[in-house]
Order: sequence, then structure tokens, then C-alpha cells
Amino acid sequence: MVLLSELHPEEAQHMRNMGERFAQMPLDDTPFVTPPPLAEATIALITSAGLHRRDDRPFRFGDQGYRIIPNDVDPADLVQTQVSVNFDRTHYQRDVNVVLPLDRMRELAQAGEIGAVSEWHYSVLGSNPNPYLLKDAAADLAQRMRDSGVDCAMLTPV
Amino acid sequence: MPFPLGRPLGVADDSEFQTDVLRSALRLLETATQPTIADFPRQAPDGNGNGVWACSITMPEPDVSDLESALRREVDLLMPWYEETRRSRGRTTIGMSGATPEQIDAVVSLVAACAEGEGFSEVPAAASEPNWIHPMPMLLRYAVEDLRAFYQEAVTSRPGTRPPSQHDMHTWIFEQTALGQALLQIGHRIAEVGDQPLLMMRGFIIPEGFWVDGPTWGQQTRNPGGAQGLSHATAYLAGERP
Repeated sequence: MVLLSELHPEEAQHMRNMGERFAQMPLDDTPFVTPPPLAEATIALITSAGLHRRDDRPFRFGDQGYRIIPNDVDPADLVQTQVSVNFDRTHYQRDVNVVLPLDRMRELAQAGEIGAVSEWHYSVLGSNPNPYLLKDAAADLAQRMRDSGVDCAMLTPV
Repeated sequence: MPFPLGRPLGVADDSEFQTDVLRSALRLLETATQPTIADFPRQAPDGNGNGVWACSITMPEPDVSDLESALRREVDLLMPWYEETRRSRGRTTIGMSGATPEQIDAVVSLVAACAEGEGFSEVPAAASEPNWIHPMPMLLRYAVEDLRAFYQEAVTSRPGTRPPSQHDMHTWIFEQTALGQALLQIGHRIAEVGDQPLLMMRGFIIPEGFWVDGPTWGQQTRNPGGAQGLSHATAYLAGERP
């Protein structure tokens, strides 16, 4: 997460306002689950970068769904229909791992530091002024990951 | 993680640093006994890039009296460098609007037509060729991003160089290119129309600090509010009219 001191004052204030709004959104509880040891865990990536395959549905502003990205996706097959102008795309244009660290996860799995990389990863549109509207998609996504043997999800916020 | 927005793993082309970020997050799974927030202790090795980049391609002074011609001159000048980047990286990020890299001229036509006052409701006739995947006016936002991707991939082509910071890239585009002038012209056209969701879209095109007449989002459009407000803005930007 970027330091607020590095943002334009209007953007920093927007972030503070969003934080205050999010803090007021209802959460039933704060569940905590102890995962299996990392060396045995299957891990999926979830990014809010608005990435998807070129032949997949593009994200719309306020999109309340997610897109599926296979672990063996060719980075050339990914595009990013993120609406925000307020984040740095130059690093992603150079190296998809800075947003979706597919190569790094595979390396950790090959080294035995994690058990396995999920066959599927997931993407949502992060610039959502009301993320509570993603609640249904999040529940569906959690069930899908559970059904496919995923133990942990690594979120890469954009 | 004290990195700029859009760089959750810190920096491109640095596998050691990216792996360190991942390991630090994953270790929390083995140590945390309750919901936990922890700071990542290292700065990005490029110092977030501020001030280390200068465009190595000499651009002509933008001719604001004929923005479309000025845009096409810039695209022609940048094309060899864009193609070199695409070849060396084996990929391009163009395609957000539905246009292919070979259809970049149509993307220019769309952006230029909107800058020159053709409105935001219909796809301009001169830009009808690509299989656009968004309706107007939101199509314009992604066409702009495709054009920005073309420029950015062109001017960051030299291997071994650090990419520019987001602020350096914005500064170059908005202060030294016809593309920046076209985007500011679009901003003024949006102000003339005055619709609130369009002002919101201006905030998707022009970053804060590069629009001189107050907040780029306008005064009241930053947060569309609850589900109803978001639904209205989404429908409007998707071209649906009551």
C-alpha cells in the first residue's frame, strides 16, 4: 500500500475517506483460520489489478464479479481493464510478476517452500467505490477455491 | 508495503526483491495467531523511481492547432521503439479497448475526435474499424489507456534502464506530448457537457495534479455512494440512457 504522503493531497484525502467508509461497512466477525504448514499448502493468487485474458469479458466500472486466470497463462494473453489512472502501469508493462507473481510462486513451489501453486488464480476490479458489493463474488470465489483444494490465497492489491 | 499503487511486489525485473515480498507475507501464515497487519521493512530498490528517468526520444513541440496530426506524428515517431519493446518483451499491454496494436491509428482517431468535440455518446465514424469491447463513453477511457500503453512501452524500450515513476510518466505525457494536450482538451469538452458521471470519467483519464481547474473529478463526483449511485454511474458510463 502506497504511503499517503506520496500521493497528491486530493488522492490522499480520497483514500482517507474511503478508509473511513470501509470501516463502517458491516462485518459479522473477524474469522481466523490456521492454515497447514506452508510446505504443504496450495496457494492461489487474487489480484485487484483488473487483469483478464484477452478473450474474457472486460471489467466494467463497478464490476461486481471476478475473472479466472489459469496458472499456465501466457502473460501476452493478459490485459488490464482497470479504470483508475492513479496507479503505476509501467512496471506491469515490463513484468507481470510485479502485479501477479506467477513466476515467483512457481519458484517457491519448486524450492519446496510452499506445497503447490493453485491451478487457477483470480482477478477483480479494485477501483470499486463500494467493495461491499463484491461480497457475493467473494463468497463464491472462496467456495471455488475450497472445492479446488486451495488452502491459502495471496492478495495482491493494486 | 511502501510501494507506489500498481506495484504490490515492489519493482519489475527483480526476482530477488519480489520473492522477498512474497516470503514476508507468506511467513505471517506461520506466525500469526490472529488477524495481523505487518509492515514490509524494505523500500523498493529503485527508490520508487522519482527523478531517475528522462525520455530518450526527442519529441516535437505539440501543435495544439491540429491535435490529430500532432498525435499521428508522435505515433509515427514512437512506432519503431514500440515495436522494439514488443519484440523484446514478447508481449504488449495494448488491447484494453479491443483494438489490436495494428489498429492504433483508429485509437488515435477516436481520441482525436473526442478532443475535437464529436461528443461522447457514439463511436466517431472515423474510428469504427476495431472490434471495440466497451460502449461509449467508457470506450474512450480504455482507448486513452491503449494509447498511453503505446507511448509508455515505446519510451521504456531500452533494456537495463529503470522504468520511470508514475509521476515522471504523467509529467512527460501531460507537459510534453500532443497526447497530453488531447487529454486536457477532452477534459474541457467534458466540462462543457457537465454530466456528473462524465466528470467522474475525467478522473479516470487525467490524474490529480495535472488538471488546472480544480479537482479532476469535479467537486461532487468522487464517490457515487451506495449501490444505487454506483449503479447509475456504471449504467451511464456504459452508454445506457434513461
